[in-house]
Amino acid sequence: MEKFKELLAEALEREDEIKMEDEFRSYDEWSSIAYLSIIAFMDEVYDTQLEEAEFKQLKTVQDMYNACTKK
Amino acid sequence: MDKQFNPFSLEGKVVVISGAASGIARQCAISCSKMGAKLILLDMNEEGLMETMEMVKRPKEHYWASVNLLEYEKVGSIIKDAVAKVGRINGLLNCAGISTTNLFKLTKPEELDKFFHVNVYTGYFLAQECTKMGNLSKEGGSIVFFSSVAGSFGEVGKSTYGMTKAALLNLAKHLACEMARKNVRVNSISPGAICTPINMNLPHMKDPEKRAVLESQHLLGLGETTDIAYACIYLLSDASRWVTGTNLFVDGGFSVR
Repeated sequence: MEKFKELLAEALEREDEIKMEDEFRSYDEWSSIAYLSIIAFMDEVYDTQLEEAEFKQLKTVQDMYNACTKK
Repeated sequence: MDKQFNPFSLEGKVVVISGAASGIARQCAISCSKMGAKLILLDMNEEGLMETMEMVKRPKEHYWASVNLLEYEKVGSIIKDAVAKVGRINGLLNCAGISTTNLFKLTKPEELDKFFHVNVYTGYFLAQECTKMGNLSKEGGSIVFFSSVAGSFGEVGKSTYGMTKAALLNLAKHLACEMARKNVRVNSISPGAICTPINMNLPHMKDPEKRAVLESQHLLGLGETTDIAYACIYLLSDASRWVTGTNLFVDGGFSVR
């Protein structure tokens, strides 16, 4: 989980703490570029490919982590 | 006159300069230090870097490292170390590069590779390192890529060099879009012919006839290294806070005609 948070922080370029219950779209760092970076690490590191509609369903950091680790 | 007023000040800014062992980059280091910047100087040539360090103001405040910019991982750890010692980065002058004159019909693939690696890839990845989370100042910064008039205008024997310099013009525009949200401005500068110790020994400047032709192409004559350094100070400073994605010709009028 810590590795996931690290990757997410890097993708978002967020230096403040990331909590699993956080709604990631509310972060100041959230942007279309952050979205592309997240999609990239989900694919590269977790071999998880989500359609845009599926990604839209994810609300919290925990949701994103679950999507990456559910296999 | 308000003596405190100086929108071009680099006071409190940390500026990375690649290729700082000689020429234009060395002058940039000297001029930026005079404007108050703390410097991170990079070059393969350690001896040249030491000479530059003797010329800058407040040498103890700065950081220097001898490194081959093509060794990307090493560059990454050097930048991290530099930031820990000097502070987060506000500016980057991507000066390092090589030049050549070679005919199209004689150019080999490995030569093109070499030029793209040294003139484009090194700047690309150095900019990537400098703008990484933890390395970049939270206020944002300014990146300057060193292009050339050869990146915009044709000349016999300059296809290899010119292509790499044109790539940098384009890179600056795209990065300007991508980095604006982090308040990072990205611009390029296109110098005309500059009198540097290395250039003065090249045939097009050493030979009196060729030099006369070159001078006639520049309305204001050939340039000095300070002409470029001062333009860089503008692009690094808050005076250019609303300038991004542009290319600044500093060429004594070469590009007018």
